[in-house]
Amino acid sequence: MENGKGNVGRGSAVIYTTISLLAALAFWATAATLGGFPPVAVYGGAAWVFLLTLIVSMPLVIAAVKRRNNV
Amino acid sequence: MTTKSITLPVGGMTCASCVGHVEKALRELLGVRQVSVNLAAGKAAVEYEPEHVGLAQMERAVADLGYEVGHEQVTLVVRGMTCASCVAHVEKALLGLEGVTKATVNLATNSARVEYLPGTVGVSAMKRALHDIGYEAEERADGQTALDREREARQQEFRRQRRNMLIVWPLSLLIMAGTFRDMSILANFVPEFLGNKLVLGLLTTPIVFGPGRQFFVNSLRGLVRGVTDMNLLYATGIGAAYFIAVLNTLWPQAGFGGPRATFFESAALLTSFIILGRYLEALTRGRTSEAIRKLMSLQPKTALVLRNGAEIEIAADEVGTGELVLVRPGERVPVDGVVSEGYSAVDESMITGESLPVEKKTGDTVTGGTMNKTGAFRFQATKVGKDTALAQIIKLVEDAQGSKAPIQKLADWVAGHFILGVHLLAVAVFVFWFFVGYQRFFTPESYFLLTPGTLGEIGVFGFSLLLSVTVLIVSCPCAVGLATPAAMMAGTGKAAEHGILFKGADAVESAAKLQAIVFDKTGTLTRGQPSLTDVVATGEALEEEVLRLAAVAEKNSEHPLGEAIVRGATERGLVVVDADRFQSIPGHGVEARVKDKDVLLGNRKLMRERGVDFTALLGQAEAWEEAGKTVMFVAVAGSPAGLIAVADTIKENSRQAVAQLRRLGLEVLMITGDNQRTALAIAKQAGIERVLAEVLPEDKASEVKKLQARGLRVAMVGDGINDAPALAQANVGIAIGSGTDVAKETGHVILMKEDLRDVVAAIEVAKATMRKVKQNLFWAFIYNTLGIPIGAGLLYPFFGWVVSPELAGAMMAVSSLTVTLNTQLMRRFVPRLYRGGGDGSAQPRTSSPALAPGRVIAGGSE
Repeated sequence: MENGKGNVGRGSAVIYTTISLLAALAFWATAATLGGFPPVAVYGGAAWVFLLTLIVSMPLVIAAVKRRNNV
Repeated sequence: MTTKSITLPVGGMTCASCVGHVEKALRELLGVRQVSVNLAAGKAAVEYEPEHVGLAQMERAVADLGYEVGHEQVTLVVRGMTCASCVAHVEKALLGLEGVTKATVNLATNSARVEYLPGTVGVSAMKRALHDIGYEAEERADGQTALDREREARQQEFRRQRRNMLIVWPLSLLIMAGTFRDMSILANFVPEFLGNKLVLGLLTTPIVFGPGRQFFVNSLRGLVRGVTDMNLLYATGIGAAYFIAVLNTLWPQAGFGGPRATFFESAALLTSFIILGRYLEALTRGRTSEAIRKLMSLQPKTALVLRNGAEIEIAADEVGTGELVLVRPGERVPVDGVVSEGYSAVDESMITGESLPVEKKTGDTVTGGTMNKTGAFRFQATKVGKDTALAQIIKLVEDAQGSKAPIQKLADWVAGHFILGVHLLAVAVFVFWFFVGYQRFFTPESYFLLTPGTLGEIGVFGFSLLLSVTVLIVSCPCAVGLATPAAMMAGTGKAAEHGILFKGADAVESAAKLQAIVFDKTGTLTRGQPSLTDVVATGEALEEEVLRLAAVAEKNSEHPLGEAIVRGATERGLVVVDADRFQSIPGHGVEARVKDKDVLLGNRKLMRERGVDFTALLGQAEAWEEAGKTVMFVAVAGSPAGLIAVADTIKENSRQAVAQLRRLGLEVLMITGDNQRTALAIAKQAGIERVLAEVLPEDKASEVKKLQARGLRVAMVGDGINDAPALAQANVGIAIGSGTDVAKETGHVILMKEDLRDVVAAIEVAKATMRKVKQNLFWAFIYNTLGIPIGAGLLYPFFGWVVSPELAGAMMAVSSLTVTLNTQLMRRFVPRLYRGGGDGSAQPRTSSPALAPGRVIAGGSE
């Protein structure tokens, strides 16, 4: 049971971190493409998008992984 | 499959989404049938199948989310232990009780420290378990009651939030003075160093990482378990505001407004306003359970009993049934019982709402928790512990306050699903203003609403981030979770003060929407104590003989009409012997064999069915019926013998109550098994125009159903035991005159007194409560509804308005304050018919039959 919970935790972490990184990357790429933004704005914005996406995706991913593993 | 119910105290919940998470976690356990969590009370009411799920599993499910199930502790002094194996026996016996989570026995001090889930097991059960294995136990003096623990927990929370307030607000005021020093006359009073960003940072940091730390810790704990709540909104907002402030201080060129801008006041004030909101919520929760606290405080801790000829004082929960209890003037009655000796007047107002002291003499019942006024008396205990009326009432009010109205379920669902939506909105706002809005609409002259100074040199990242943070804070539905339960608790508590007990929050909601109300006649609209008025004989029979035979036939009947005949015959000096044979025919009458005569007594229907012709007496019968009397036909040996008339009078306040119900817009009806003529006469006295007469007892529920089929929401007012099916069928079943035996009453609302004005009061309290719920939800949501578009910058392109994060925090605190203050206004509510005083009489009245043990089971024509 404890192994199961550990797997859920690790598996979920990989998924939601990846999702958040992809969102941040998309933001960064858009800002870089459009141009004209100071570096602090681009990297700061990407960090903020990463954080908010992490917050949104964490509970959703954890719940989905739990359901799939029936833990 | 057996089910059990338990109410678990759950600590750590702060918002409606916490409620949703706890409910979901418990509901997912196999064997849990129903869960209802009340944020304001901090309790989870669970219905479960003990074969499939235990208390330990429920506790674990709640703990896994980061909340805690409250435990109570008691220390017992255990006598009789001599060695380590005694210790093991005692621990095993205690741990074998359901609800006991820990038991630590100390042989050296002869004590057992027990931790248990409140509501599952009591100290008396522990003592009994130890007694069964040969040990005696007493609660040690420093043990606390449930009331003490509950009060302590609330006070602890209140003290914690007040301490936070005392830390954050003085610092925040200093920070504000320093921030706005240059913009007003403050420059004359505020030292220059206070405006220095480093100093502001030093003042802000203890706010964010001191009292503000709770939001970061709680949200992280929730997040790793996949739970999002309002702590997350606060943590994200406060963290971002603080981060911007620090970044701008260390790196003024970062685009957050330049060297002259500071954002420390945002982080500080945001934290301060959120803590103000938490403080107000702790205040509200503390006050709204006042009704329960008042009731619990009525329970005396000790009782004076007579054992082995001596008077000894013992703990009230140790009184056994059948014991003789002594009560002196000025003392509270400890348990329920029947007076065996003595005479006094007892104030029952705290329990039944009855304003006049009630005389108590031998044979009268007394209720635990009532106050003995003048004399001393002894009584035999009949109900103790959780069986007492007071314990039943407390449980009923507690259960009602722990239940959820349909409107609240909707509010909790919205709030619970809101958090993720808010974060998505914050992302969208940030991305929009970053890539589109700033370039198109930003002007350096724009400013934060209600904040001096312009936005000036703020860059695209700073501007977009600030709006995103503001959206997070202003969207928070902080007060939503509290809006409905706070109002419900205030409303049900107010009702309980008048002896009106709502069995659930849904009963309150249903009672507020009623369109029609049906009154049972005998015992509800009328006093239920008819008396003999007329006798007439026919043919060769004498009136005394007709009355005597009728009385003998009715001697074994428990029907009020039958009792009136027997009483009338006895008063006239007639000897009423037992019948040789007796049979009750429900809805018709009775049949008996008296000596060698067959006697039939009942209504027209019975006579018609048995072929007895009463044509000659019909005129007399109709004349009596038109006067409001109930006429019974007496037949002997198959021939008409005479008529007997019995009259019941309507209750004192019936007409007044009916008139007020009409004014409230309800259609008022009367239902009775009596004939149409009598029914109409009684209805006319009460001011009721619509009558359903000659309805058999088993058909009353169908009549209620017919009204409901017309689309009406119907209340039925009647005897909680005899009218049970009709009360259960109605949208709101109101059991009147239950006295203190509330547990066995069917119905959604229980009225402890016989007074019909309580029916009106119940509906008025329900309407006032629902009005309060809607007002609270309005105030809880209005700030969000207005704040979100403005916070997201919707009005910025037109007016240049943006809302600062601290103003958003202030708006949230104001929404909590508004809900708190609005709920407190319910304390002033008085039902219309009780305004200006009660009955007026100063004389004690004799014990009401409503409080007497046992009930008359109606039969015959009712």
